[in-house]
Amino acid sequence: MGKGQPSYTDEEFVAAIRRGDDRALAQLYRLHFPMISHYVLQNSGTDDEAKDVYQEGVMVFYEKVRDGSLELSCQIKTYLYAVCRRLWLKRLTEKTRFGGRLDDHEPYLETGAEADLELAEERDRRFATMAEALERIGEPCRSLLEGFYLLDKSMQQLTAEFGYTNADNAKNQKYKCLVRLKKLFFNQYQEFET
Amino acid sequence: MKTEADYYALFDAYRSGELAAPQRTDLERRLAADPDLARRLSDYETLTGTLTAYGQRLALRRKLNAIQADMDAEQAVRLSTEERPVPNPFFSAGEAPRPALRISRTEEKLRQFWGSHRATMMVAASVAVMAVFATLLGMEWWKARQQPSVYGYATLRREVDRIKRTQRVMNKAINQIGTPATPAVNQGKFSGTGFALTADGYLVTSYHVIQGADSLLIESRDRQRFRAEPVFTDVAHDLAILHIKDKSFKGFGRLPYSFKRGQSELGERVYTLGYPREDLVFNDGSLSARSGFEGDTGFYQISIPVNPGNSGGPLLDDRGNLIGIISGRQMDVQSAAFATKSSYLMRLVDSLSAARTGQAYNLPRANQLAGTSRPQQIRKLRDYVFVVKVYE
Repeated sequence: MGKGQPSYTDEEFVAAIRRGDDRALAQLYRLHFPMISHYVLQNSGTDDEAKDVYQEGVMVFYEKVRDGSLELSCQIKTYLYAVCRRLWLKRLTEKTRFGGRLDDHEPYLETGAEADLELAEERDRRFATMAEALERIGEPCRSLLEGFYLLDKSMQQLTAEFGYTNADNAKNQKYKCLVRLKKLFFNQYQEFET
Repeated sequence: MKTEADYYALFDAYRSGELAAPQRTDLERRLAADPDLARRLSDYETLTGTLTAYGQRLALRRKLNAIQADMDAEQAVRLSTEERPVPNPFFSAGEAPRPALRISRTEEKLRQFWGSHRATMMVAASVAVMAVFATLLGMEWWKARQQPSVYGYATLRREVDRIKRTQRVMNKAINQIGTPATPAVNQGKFSGTGFALTADGYLVTSYHVIQGADSLLIESRDRQRFRAEPVFTDVAHDLAILHIKDKSFKGFGRLPYSFKRGQSELGERVYTLGYPREDLVFNDGSLSARSGFEGDTGFYQISIPVNPGNSGGPLLDDRGNLIGIISGRQMDVQSAAFATKSSYLMRLVDSLSAARTGQAYNLPRANQLAGTSRPQQIRKLRDYVFVVKVYE
């Protein structure tokens, strides 16, 4: 797995990922995948499920790091293991074919992963609502907002793409779209909350 | 009156810092005064924040998928190079149809099963292998120990360990009455009985008595001891011939009994002398069958109560002919003991003399016991019956 790439310590990983270093992320991903894959396969999972769970786990970790809100009291490995373990447990109960004890091969520690996961779930719900709101807003608002916020295109690019006469027009259109999105989003989100 | 979109434009400018200083202070003042406006700003921020975060999430997912795809691709390359190291020679390089890695569903299942239970299966297999070998070795060992005894058949050599304790108690008692203590004697592990074959130091005993022996010690009735070595053994007939090696040994003198070459008749009155305990013990009975355990024709069945330690003892008839060597008894039958026929001993001795010309076995010819009473016979006989002590 080395292949001449620099190897990082846990602290270096966190620092590099906070800087937005994609190489570090890729290496971290490669480093711990076998562990989770093995764990999920051991506990009646498939290869694809292992990948899903692992990606979700890495996302939780990554977003915490980017937030700067990560307080790592243990190794990254242990943290990832705890998160993925929890995620897999949830999936198994959802599949309702889970009746027994999980077969652990790492010591299960109190890592704060549980609390992080709840926050992550909350965020997932918000993202899901947002995705739905974007679906329902209709064209050209959807493409405009996605272009600006999700694909990081500049206002000039979008002006050219959508054929507006100038950037101000495009901006005004964007604000109108935002207002519509806001209504959709908050209606649904609050509906969900209550 | 401003529309909501206008407010958003204003907020956007405010957040990106494009707003001129007076307008900004104005807005900030209004935000402080107007809670409605403040709520509007926070809504705007939640919305744009969520959108940006959502965008980042999607980007991250793309990155991770790319990494995973990379890994999968590497895996596939490794697999395919492992499985197909030689390209098919029938296709030229250009038109070779790309052979997809075809794995049937069952094979996939099997692979998965193997992958996840490999460790467990390895452990189980090694435990099984070890159990098999342990059983085999154990059985082998057990058999070796038990030879030549068969189920229901008990050989009669005596384990001396059992009586050691009483011996020790006796020694203590002797010490207490003040007589000088006899030095502790190594009792040996097993003991049996043996008797003289020739006057010049050959003896006969049962093979199972000396089985596994490191050294042998012959002890006569008057506590004289000689070192002996096995000369020949016959496992099938449970016979062993020993020779005394000691320089101090002068010979037994003339043997009073002779060996019978033929077979004895049923109902003949027979007796034996042996050392089932520290002293010479006499027992008698009759010859009850001309075959031994499970029809073995090399043995007689005799109705003499014999005990561990009697093994290798001489079996004599009324006229003082030696007709057998005590070997064992049947456990589940009342007083059924077995003795090797003397005819087999004679055949063995004959063949040994024939093979080794230098060492002749001078068997006794005359019988001095015929016609005398039994106590007289025994008085003559007892000097030629010995304890065989076995050290392992």
